[in-house]
Amino acid sequence: MDEAKLKKILGDINAPAPDENAKKSAVNLAVAEFKTVENQRKNAPQGISLFGRLTSKTTQTRRDPMQQKSKQRLMYGGMATAMAVVLIVGVTAQQTMIKNNEFVAQSMLATTNVDAAATAMESLADVNEAAPQEMEREEALPSAAPAPLPTPMDAPVASLTVTEQAAQVGNYATTARAKIATPGFAGAGADASRMMMAESMPYAPPPGVVVPLPEPINPYYQEEGRDKFQDFKPSPVKLVADEPVSTFSIDVDTASYSLVRRELNNGIIPNPDAVRIEELVNYFDYNYALPETRETPFKPTVTVTNSPWSKDKKLVHIGIKGFDIQTDQKPHSNLVFLVDVSGSMDSPDKLPLVKSSLKMLLDTLQPDDTVALTVYAGSAGTVLEPTKVSDKQTILNAIDNLNAGGSTAGAAGIEEAYRLAEKHFDKEGVNRVIVATDGDFNVGVSSDTDLKTIIEKKRESGIFLSVLGFGLGNLNDSLMQTLAQNGNGTAAYIDTINEARKVLVEEASSTLFPIAKDVKIQVEFNPELVQEYRLIGYETRALNREDFNNDKIDAGDIGAGHTVTAIYEITPAGATPSIDPSRYAEKKEAAQPKSEFAGEIGFLKMRYKLPKENESKLITTPISADANAAPNSDVTWATAVAGFGQILKGDTHIGNFTYDDVIKMANEAKGTDEFGQRAEFINMVRNAKASAPH
Amino acid sequence: MSKNEDRELIKRAQSGDAGAFEALANQYYETMFKMAYKFCGNRPDAEDITQESCIRLARGLHSFKGDSAFTSWLYRLVINTGKDWYKSNNRHPKSDDGLETVQVSAKGEDQLYAKQVIAAVYELPEGERDALLLVMSEGLSHKEAGQILGCKESTISWRIHEARKKLGALFEKEQKYG
Repeated sequence: MDEAKLKKILGDINAPAPDENAKKSAVNLAVAEFKTVENQRKNAPQGISLFGRLTSKTTQTRRDPMQQKSKQRLMYGGMATAMAVVLIVGVTAQQTMIKNNEFVAQSMLATTNVDAAATAMESLADVNEAAPQEMEREEALPSAAPAPLPTPMDAPVASLTVTEQAAQVGNYATTARAKIATPGFAGAGADASRMMMAESMPYAPPPGVVVPLPEPINPYYQEEGRDKFQDFKPSPVKLVADEPVSTFSIDVDTASYSLVRRELNNGIIPNPDAVRIEELVNYFDYNYALPETRETPFKPTVTVTNSPWSKDKKLVHIGIKGFDIQTDQKPHSNLVFLVDVSGSMDSPDKLPLVKSSLKMLLDTLQPDDTVALTVYAGSAGTVLEPTKVSDKQTILNAIDNLNAGGSTAGAAGIEEAYRLAEKHFDKEGVNRVIVATDGDFNVGVSSDTDLKTIIEKKRESGIFLSVLGFGLGNLNDSLMQTLAQNGNGTAAYIDTINEARKVLVEEASSTLFPIAKDVKIQVEFNPELVQEYRLIGYETRALNREDFNNDKIDAGDIGAGHTVTAIYEITPAGATPSIDPSRYAEKKEAAQPKSEFAGEIGFLKMRYKLPKENESKLITTPISADANAAPNSDVTWATAVAGFGQILKGDTHIGNFTYDDVIKMANEAKGTDEFGQRAEFINMVRNAKASAPH
Repeated sequence: MSKNEDRELIKRAQSGDAGAFEALANQYYETMFKMAYKFCGNRPDAEDITQESCIRLARGLHSFKGDSAFTSWLYRLVINTGKDWYKSNNRHPKSDDGLETVQVSAKGEDQLYAKQVIAAVYELPEGERDALLLVMSEGLSHKEAGQILGCKESTISWRIHEARKKLGALFEKEQKYG
């Protein structure tokens, strides 16, 4: 829309003259308030700055109207307010207690089986009769309380809303109590109530002094912050009879692992959507078998083990390791760094870390590789035309001169970076754009889909893309994923200099040199041996069955030396299934076991394209039921990590598996742990255990 | 009243002079009312928000440190009050009857068009609407708007860009064929 026109229209909004009466009453109210406030200020002891608190709220983004209201009510001071506070606390205590009771009662009912249901009904009836006595018990309890706690039913109420609430609570209270079946549960309720009273003590104000209610804090889960994650649900259990084939794209990204580690180090349980289990598992390097020849870039290793979290179930590990490139055989690289220098990057864990990371990467390059540097902020621009790495000082100077400021025109930057990469396109070498950003592409093409279109177009030219995410608070993880997944690339999240070293130095060859692209995996399970299966992780990478053979469908890439692990949980035939058999489905005659497939759990198919080819190749291997070899430490380790990811996501499929079990398994499988990454993981699990809600 | 006299008035009110505060409130009532009006587009809401803002002014004047213009500070107060007011009343500033009362200087067909645009502006997400009004209607810079809304300059630029894109999608076509 035309700016001048919009300016004119909006500038022309004619606010009418204010109404004199409204003005008078507003000013009078304000003056009265001013006098009250002044009096309180004079009398208030030092350090209780109610007003400082009030104004500081204005800079917060999240405002809670209830909180504002309770503050307003408190402002008017006096005994009535004090009473109301006591009452509110009382009501909250009751509500919480009731929730507790209901929860206990429900979980009890849930565990009762059908036969016991009748007994439960009887005991419920008993409790109905017992309820009045119990109420007496509870009324007797608050003797420990500093102020008399009015029972909801006969409370001397201060305001209408409170009356209503109290009445409602009263009703709930009766029903909730009726549900309590044993004295033991009643005791638990009473304990909860006592606990609440103890907690409420500091909030009962001495007469005449107005104390603000504490602000609610939630230490376990970070709700604020503007990080964007794509939301997804864990894959469900699938019946082999209904859907024998599972298809997905591989994922070698590790961004999720660093994000999770960062949050846990800060004592925060990460957003479940930020936890992508496959990325946690693939963060670690595993010693899977390498292919015998270079003709095939990788080879699958399949192991079947017992599931540590569900009895009767088994885990199928599929591990892939790509061959590594010797330093002297590394192809020539044509790299374009695209660095986000918008204002949001002006933070020690962003731009300075980007600079050190880039310098580190520079050290791993060959003298005749070329590097270009372009930035994006208010406008996109090239800082350094493609330069040979032998002219290192020029590159270092350009990196050092980067400064943060302005807004982020990500799309223009990407266009520019691709233009530079095309300009010096090396047919024989590796052409790659490396984006370093906090993910906030906020000017120009900014929706995930628009950018996706640009990237998809550029993908055709044979230029690969890597996205390095930095910082937290503004991170657009979902955009990073979109970019990397659609641009034949990888996404990594860099939070420390150590992580930069891992991604850019240790794994430089896998980060930089793709050995296969569009790698898809398809597993068909044998219904005679497997009833159900569940793919752990890879939710965001699921493909349709028909996509497997369609070479137009994009999928993940594997770099030199990359390892990829996928884990299925299967229910073997004969074990107790998670899904009940269908009552109405036609009962199949017990099929004659096809002798040629006896002993095969399933069939693994993998498709990949060589980096410069557009036609896919196929690798197949049957998964043998006796791949039951004693699990080696790599398999155990991957299982522990997958278990951890599932606990963290609150996945319901892993039963009673706890953080402690993860730590135990991980300790057994730690191995040599050359760079301390596995020890760090175990430490992270301990952090998660400490931060988890109990 | 000059700027210096205002400063003087603010200082006296901050030290507890009720008379000075009354004068200050009278002085700025209209400014606040106009701000509120622009942000909600109808008189009844604007009056309620201004009244609440006056009360908050009484409580919060102490925290005005003089490091920004008093009017910028007032903007923030009024906008935040408005947000809270709409939140606690569980409403959105776009009541149909309210929009008809938006007054614009344009006449005839232009007036109709302007009213439609303004109506669309009030339908925008809160952040975009606020940024757009501060910059386009009040003529503030992106930086100033950022300070008032408590976000980065770049965020303001982005919000305005987003808002213009949305408005463009709504109105550009009609213009071409109309």
